[in-house]
Amino acid sequence: MQFLSAVFIILWVISFALYYLVPAKRQWIILAVASGLFYVAGTGGIPVGIVLTGAGAYVSGLYVKRSLEAQKAALSAVVEKEQKKAVKLGFERRRRRVQILYFVLSLGILFCTKYMVVILPFLQKAGLTTPYSDVFFARVVMPLGVSFYTLTAISYVVDVGREQCQAQENPVKLFLFLAYFPSITQGPFNRYGKLQREFERDHVFDYERMLFGVQRFVWGAFKKLVIADRINLFVGNVFGSVDGGFPGSIYALAVVLYMIQLYADFSGYMDMALGVSETFDIILPENFKRPYFSKSVAEFWRRWHITLGTWFKDYVMFSFVMSGAGRKIGKAAKKKMPRMGKHVTGILGTMFVWLLTGMWHGRTMSYILWGVYYGVIMCVSLVLESRYGVWKEKLHIKEGKAYAFFAMARTWVIVFAADVLIRSDSLSQAGQIYRALLMDFRLKEGILGVTDFGLSRYGFLLLAATCLLWLAVSVWEEQGKDVRRMLAASPMAVRWCCYYGVVLLLVITGIYGGSYDTAAFLYQSF
Amino acid sequence: MEEKILEVLEEYCEEALSYTGDNMMEEGVIDSFTVINIVSELEDVFDIEIDAKYVVAENFRNKEAIIELVRQLVEE
Repeated sequence: MQFLSAVFIILWVISFALYYLVPAKRQWIILAVASGLFYVAGTGGIPVGIVLTGAGAYVSGLYVKRSLEAQKAALSAVVEKEQKKAVKLGFERRRRRVQILYFVLSLGILFCTKYMVVILPFLQKAGLTTPYSDVFFARVVMPLGVSFYTLTAISYVVDVGREQCQAQENPVKLFLFLAYFPSITQGPFNRYGKLQREFERDHVFDYERMLFGVQRFVWGAFKKLVIADRINLFVGNVFGSVDGGFPGSIYALAVVLYMIQLYADFSGYMDMALGVSETFDIILPENFKRPYFSKSVAEFWRRWHITLGTWFKDYVMFSFVMSGAGRKIGKAAKKKMPRMGKHVTGILGTMFVWLLTGMWHGRTMSYILWGVYYGVIMCVSLVLESRYGVWKEKLHIKEGKAYAFFAMARTWVIVFAADVLIRSDSLSQAGQIYRALLMDFRLKEGILGVTDFGLSRYGFLLLAATCLLWLAVSVWEEQGKDVRRMLAASPMAVRWCCYYGVVLLLVITGIYGGSYDTAAFLYQSF
Repeated sequence: MEEKILEVLEEYCEEALSYTGDNMMEEGVIDSFTVINIVSELEDVFDIEIDAKYVVAENFRNKEAIIELVRQLVEE
C-alpha cells in the first residue's frame, strides 16, 4: 500500500476517526490494527522472515531484561569490588551471546531477502533450485520495509541491553513499534524509548494539529508529484537511453536535476509520513534539515537521512570503536604512530560505516564505490579539520557570505559526483558520463537539445517556479521560521489562497498515470 | 579532574569549551570522529573504560555533561 493511494487515504481517515473515539488507553490498539492492515495490504501476506525477526526481538529483549534484573540481585549479594566485577562480566557475556545470536539471525534474514535477487540467478544457473523453491523465493524476496524493520528491531535489542529503555512485555505493542505504518516503508528510524513514550501519552483531538498534519502531507505530495516526478521525465530519459553519447552539458543538467529529484522524493515521503503521524499526535523524528545548505560533506550527512546516520553512528561505529578489538587496534596504532595513531579507530569506524551505508542503499558495485567515496572524503576532511584554520589564515580567507557560498557549492560538487554513480545503470555508464562531463561538455548543443528528453519548455518553467517556491520555504525554515505557524497567523484570504494554490498546483500539474508509476518512491528500493 | 577533562576538550574540540547550549552532538559542534578521539583520550588519562552505551548525545550534550560522565565512571 502506498501513501498516494485511495486505499491508504481510507485507512488513514477511518483509523483517525476511531483513534479519537476510543478511550486514550486503547488508542495504541487502533494504530496496531492500522499498521497490521497496512503491512498485509502492502506485502500481500505476512512474510515469515518478518515474523521471525519480530519474535526474535521480543524474546531477546525479555531475556536481556531478566538477565539485568538477575544481575542486580546478584550484585546486591556481593560486597567485594573484584567479585562484583566478575559477576557483572558473567552476566554481560551471557547477554552479549544472546544479542549476537539475534543479530546474526535478523541480519541473515535481511541479507537473504535483500540479496536473493542477486543470488537466485546464480543458484538457478548452477541447477540448485526447483520450480517450488523459485515460487518460494519469489514470495520471500523483499517484504515491505524489511531493512527499516530489521534495523529498528536490532536497535530495540541493543537499547534494552544498554538500559536505555525497558523491554516490552506485550508482543503486540512491540509489533506496533517495529511496524508503525507511517514509518515502516522508508523511515524515519525510530528509537523504542522515544516512540513508546509517544504511544503511551494520552492523545486528545486538536484541530490545529490535525490541520498541520494534513498540510504537511499535502506539501510532501506536492514535492513528490509536482517536482520529483516531473524531473523524472527528463532524468529517466537521459539515463535510460541505451546508446547515450549525449553532450556533457545534458548529463550535467540531468545529474543536478536528479539531486533535486532525490531530495524532493525522499523528503516528500518524510513530510507525508510525519504529517500522517502528526494527525495521531505521534511526533516522529525529523529526517531532513535542508541538506543543500550544508557547508561540508559531514554537515550534509548530518542533515540528510538523519536517523539512518545516527543509527549507524550509535549502533555500529561506537560499538566497534569501544569494543575490545577496537580498543586494541587504537592502542597499538597510538603506540606505533604517536601523531596519526589516534585517528586510526575513527578512520576504520568511518570507513566501515560508509561501506555498510553503501550496501544498505543498493546491491551493486556502484553503491559500494559510492560508500567508499564518501568514507574517504569524510576521513580526509575530519583528519585535516584541525589544519583548516591555519590554511585559511595563510591564504587570507575570511569566513563571510562569499566563503559560505563557496563551501556550499563545494558540497554540491562532491554530492554531484557521487550521484552520477548511483543514478547510472552501470559502472560503464557512470564512466561514460564522467568522461562526457570532463571532456565533451558541448554547452551550445546541450542548450539546444534540452527539450528533446520528455520535458517541454513549459515543463521546465513550471519546474523552476515550483522549485523557487520550495526554495523560499526552505530559506524561511533555515532562518528558524515555522512556516505553518506563519501561515496560520496570516489573514484568512492569504491563508486560503496558499492552500488552494498548492492543492491546485498538485491536482493540475502533478504527474499522474501514464507509463510512469507515480507511487514508486525512490528510497523504497534502498 | 575537571581541569584535565577541559584540557582534553581543548585539544580535540576547542569549540566545546565556549559552547553554552545542551545539544553539542546534534548541533554539529562535536562530530562522531571527535567524540571517538575524546573518549579514547579520557580513557587513557583516567584509566577508565567508556562503554558504547555511555556514548550518547545526552552524555555529550555539553562540557558539564562530559565531566559528570567521567566523574561517575571514575567513582564506579
